[in-house]
Amino acid sequence: MSLPRASGYFRTRYDEDFRLLDTRTQRAAFGLFALCALALPFVASPFVLDLANQVLLAVVGAVALMLLTGYAGQISLGHAGLLAAGAYTTGILFKELGAPWWVTLPCAAAVGALLGVIFGLPSLRLRGLYLAVSTLALHFIVIYLGNEYETKRGFSTGVVIDAPIVDARAWYAALFAAAAVAVLLALNLLRTKTGRAWHAIRGKEAVAEALGINIPAYKLLAFVISATMTSVAGCLFAYYRGFVSAEAFSLFLTIQYVAMVIIGGMGSILGAVLGAIFVTLFPYAIEYLVASVPTPAAWANSLFAVNYAAFGLVMIVFLLYEPAGLVGIWRRLQDYFLLWPFKRKPLAASQ
Amino acid sequence: MAELELRELHLAFGGLKVLDGVSFALESGELLALIGPNGAGKTSVLNCICGIYRPTGGEVFFRGAHITGARPHAVARLGIARTFQHGELLPHLSVLDNLLVGRHTRLTTSFIGQALFLPAARAEERAQREAAERILEFVELERYRHQPVGTLGFGRQKIVGFARALALEPKVLLLDEPSAGLNREEREDLARHILRIKHELGIAMVWVEHDMQMVADLADRLYVLNYGVPLAAGVPDSVLKDPRVIEAYLGGARA
Repeated sequence: MSLPRASGYFRTRYDEDFRLLDTRTQRAAFGLFALCALALPFVASPFVLDLANQVLLAVVGAVALMLLTGYAGQISLGHAGLLAAGAYTTGILFKELGAPWWVTLPCAAAVGALLGVIFGLPSLRLRGLYLAVSTLALHFIVIYLGNEYETKRGFSTGVVIDAPIVDARAWYAALFAAAAVAVLLALNLLRTKTGRAWHAIRGKEAVAEALGINIPAYKLLAFVISATMTSVAGCLFAYYRGFVSAEAFSLFLTIQYVAMVIIGGMGSILGAVLGAIFVTLFPYAIEYLVASVPTPAAWANSLFAVNYAAFGLVMIVFLLYEPAGLVGIWRRLQDYFLLWPFKRKPLAASQ
Repeated sequence: MAELELRELHLAFGGLKVLDGVSFALESGELLALIGPNGAGKTSVLNCICGIYRPTGGEVFFRGAHITGARPHAVARLGIARTFQHGELLPHLSVLDNLLVGRHTRLTTSFIGQALFLPAARAEERAQREAAERILEFVELERYRHQPVGTLGFGRQKIVGFARALALEPKVLLLDEPSAGLNREEREDLARHILRIKHELGIAMVWVEHDMQMVADLADRLYVLNYGVPLAAGVPDSVLKDPRVIEAYLGGARA
């Protein structure tokens, strides 16, 4: 957590303690961001717009995982499984019943919530790696069920879905709204009782319990919220792609989401957003780099390998040198400009 | 009726007897010090009361209600708060946020209300900050309210832990060696806080302590444990002169 800003921000009301945009600078920055976000679909090429849409989808999933892992401290490797659950719910309802989106979306959310309870139950007994493995098991179960459906119904190449939205700009608006809702819900939960309870559980469970926090209830709540959001993201993903297939939800997708949370910065919603942007754009950046080496043709075949290797390298670099993630870098930059021409922080604690 | 009553409490881990027939009653507004040499089972008594350990025998009553073996969060909700020997705070959160975590049982807004930050949630957050501010004032930590707890010195952190327990608005407060690791000045502050809690808030306290001087000066009554066995109980002056207590602390006279 960063220190209180240098000076000039004296709070006079309690409401100022929990408002989302605290300082004038933050409000100005948010205004600028909103303007850019608004202008983007009108100036961006179709390719850039597609990238933006992918990022927005990733933001929903990353915020969901951040709540669970970055705040409640529960490790989950079932994220791709939950995305798959949302996507398959959508696909199956569409194929079998021709259900419109306003049926599939709530159904995906409900399936997500149910899976959240199931995913969450082991967390009452297991911790750390053991919990991760138990969530991994659920991932494979969901993928297996999806595969079964595909083969039994003869959609061996995947389920094709007609999206209610076709226009890329309309998609941008819809996905932006979804991401904004996810971020806002997360921030609201984090500034109230639930967020503090999760924080306490991540700290030390015995202490949280002694403060009157019902640990099983709040752990399950974290799993249910996270799984519901993820499943909804899966539903949107299915519509956006117009296609559901088990291959899209590999374990690597889970790793990517975990990477978003780590690279972005644990315990920060801004981190989840930055991580989502970074990890989504990373393969494209690598592709661009490979294309710009002197002999691109020689590398083209190994693009996948280069991609994976570079991704792994970036993960390791972040874990070793920047455990606070992109948010940590961002905060240091802020401090640099705030303190200039001085280099050190002001006396951290006036002891 | 006693605030808290322990009847013949027994606790064993396998063959190891930790507590062997601990019984006492905490009267309303009383400051009861629980003392004994290292490993006497003092913290275990607290853990049995607040539900972290389930006693193998005996009963715990809170205001006449049977609470033996209740879950810790349920015990806290009833109005029994505790502090921890090492503070056990959330170092990255501000002092205020740590206190708000302690207000958990006092918050009633629905989940939907929180998620959408409806006016009810906003009003409640405001009210809780007011309450937290009163506690900060009580323990004289106002100037640190927005400081991350991890940047405070150990002594102040312990006072924050103290304040967090008070934030539950408990009826009974369990203090686990609040003075351990504090310097003389901090101990004097602590003594003042303990006396103010007793006289101004009227909260009954069970106080595990090693500092005999503090205990002799402040406690209403002592309860001495030695290897889980109750050794003596009564007013400080007589208990501290009890030869059995002196023997437990200093060892028996050489033959």
